[in-house]
Amino acid sequence: MSTILSLYRANMKEFIRDRAAMFWTLAFPILFIILFGAIFSGGGSVNYTVGLVNEDNGPVGAQLESTFKSLKVFTVKTGAESDELSNLRQGRRDMVIVIPAGLSDAVQAGHTATVQMYNDPSKNQTDAGVEQSIVQQVLSEFNAAHIQAVPPLALNTISVTARNLRSIDFLMPGILAMSLMQLGLFATATPLVQLRQEGVLRRLGATPLPRWQLLIGQILFRLTIGFVQAALIVGLSVAAFNVQIQGNMLALAGLVLLGALTFVAIGYLIAAIARSVESASGISSAVNFPMMFLSGIFFPLAFLPAFLAPIVRAMPLTYLADAVRQVSIGSVPDFPMWIDLAVLAGWAIACTLIATRLFKWE
Amino acid sequence: MGSEHNVIIAENLRKYYGQTKAVDGISLTVSQGEVFGMLGPNGAGKSTTIEMIEGLRTADSGSVAILGYKLPREAKAIKERIGIQLQTTSLYPRLTVTEILDLFHKFYPGRKTLTTDELIRIVDLEEKKDTRSKQLSGGQKQRLSVALALVNDPEIVFLDEPTTGMDPQARRQLWDTVLGLKQQGKTILLTTHYMEEAEQLCDRVAIVDHGHIIEIGSPAELVQRYFNEIAISFQGSGDVDGYQTIPGVSHAAAEDGTITLYSNDVPRTMAALLDREPAGGGTLRNLNIHNATLEDVFLKLTGRALRD
Repeated sequence: MSTILSLYRANMKEFIRDRAAMFWTLAFPILFIILFGAIFSGGGSVNYTVGLVNEDNGPVGAQLESTFKSLKVFTVKTGAESDELSNLRQGRRDMVIVIPAGLSDAVQAGHTATVQMYNDPSKNQTDAGVEQSIVQQVLSEFNAAHIQAVPPLALNTISVTARNLRSIDFLMPGILAMSLMQLGLFATATPLVQLRQEGVLRRLGATPLPRWQLLIGQILFRLTIGFVQAALIVGLSVAAFNVQIQGNMLALAGLVLLGALTFVAIGYLIAAIARSVESASGISSAVNFPMMFLSGIFFPLAFLPAFLAPIVRAMPLTYLADAVRQVSIGSVPDFPMWIDLAVLAGWAIACTLIATRLFKWE
Repeated sequence: MGSEHNVIIAENLRKYYGQTKAVDGISLTVSQGEVFGMLGPNGAGKSTTIEMIEGLRTADSGSVAILGYKLPREAKAIKERIGIQLQTTSLYPRLTVTEILDLFHKFYPGRKTLTTDELIRIVDLEEKKDTRSKQLSGGQKQRLSVALALVNDPEIVFLDEPTTGMDPQARRQLWDTVLGLKQQGKTILLTTHYMEEAEQLCDRVAIVDHGHIIEIGSPAELVQRYFNEIAISFQGSGDVDGYQTIPGVSHAAAEDGTITLYSNDVPRTMAALLDREPAGGGTLRNLNIHNATLEDVFLKLTGRALRD
């Protein structure tokens, strides 16, 4: 135990004395939060102008319409579909919601009815994501209520959506997930290959030190950094930008642990494959780039073209970001929580197994 | 010398890299308390051999027993009892000398270790003990890596090119360290391409070239085995056949712009040599007359010089 602790301390000292590593792992995510916080926290009074087209004559359409109108973040204008869509195109609406004719009949007959939402692809995609999640929340609350009790629906129970969900609220969990990914890529793979290339692993291998102790020391160190990152990001978002954490802090900590383990395992796998420091950082960047932009960090998955769906669904960051968003801001799930957890655990186990087989110590 | 005193027994070690036979059937035994050197030019296979004996590199074939423990099965027991200095060691670059040595102590739980202060004193790094390892000079790094090899107060110390990159003063200092270890009764296996180092430190030397041991013996034995002559060397190049006929010369060699004549009768050879000179002389630059050395033995055995 004292050996592992000493290795842990050695790693920690190395890290603290390495200004560049400190910057990329700690200062960089903080800058992200400050930057996005300053741009997107928007004085706290975000308001979206919504064109509402209610073609349904029944009670469900009316209920939905009044619910949307009751939301503080929405300024609802009603009109005909063609008018509202042209308003949207001209920038006079942030989005248009269409409640189709016959919705009430369909719902009462027990069918699934679809509410159509249009938004402007040229406008801020994070905002669009926020709007979308609000609408979805209204609908899912409706559905939940509908299953429990037979109509008439008590839609006024929807109080959660009165909460002002801003861009920064959407972004914070993503940035947290992203920083855990970068911990695994840039703070694990590259330094490991460097240790191997410079013969440090070889020198340690010349002592009776068991390899598992070396590994545990390294992994504990990286998990610590992951938690420090998470604490800084969450703390700063809450303190400076008033982001409200909805979920259980313990659950969030558990996710940080799982996420850090998953991406550190990926880092070890990259270190096992890469022959040189250059190729390690090349592979890391190649992994980093698509994950950063296709995992729903900066804009919702729904905005990505359908042909990317298989890639999106393969990437672990997608699930980590979704899980962190669910836990921290109570967002609408892209996937059920158990799927998020299972996929992350699957990635962690698979990468660990492959890395164990492929990793070369010299 | 009974076999129970042979603390290192390596038999028929081989290591091929594709077509290259890095080590091609090396056997050696080292007895307790002995300083044994492998002498040879860079690329001769010394490092590969020593690393196979240390258990850091797997031999294609052959066997190694150290202190009665067999590789690879008992590698851990061996690592507990030996100290290894690697040719190129870089360590946690931002840790200080003291911190690195403290860390290495933890790798030998349950074994009596030398204290960090003792180690720093042995390798004479007192002034650098709080310096980060990446700020050490090449020679200081070498000394640190020797200190790391001594942390567990090992019974056998392996030194791979320990003085490479050191200035002459630092080299002598390290030689003193090695001789001090020898006095404590430690067994030392070292590799070097410095003839003088082998002569100063080693009880026995193996001359290694192209993955083979060409000769084994004490430095004095080897010189005597091959030379009764005195070496006369001077600057010059070209055909050495012309020198073979000079009186007293038994053998002549040219290497790296230096011609060396091995003479049984130095006065006669010198007289004849000077006679060949044009009036006023001046072409016998860097004239040097000395007893034959391991360098000369190596040159005679391989036709090549030790130095790069």
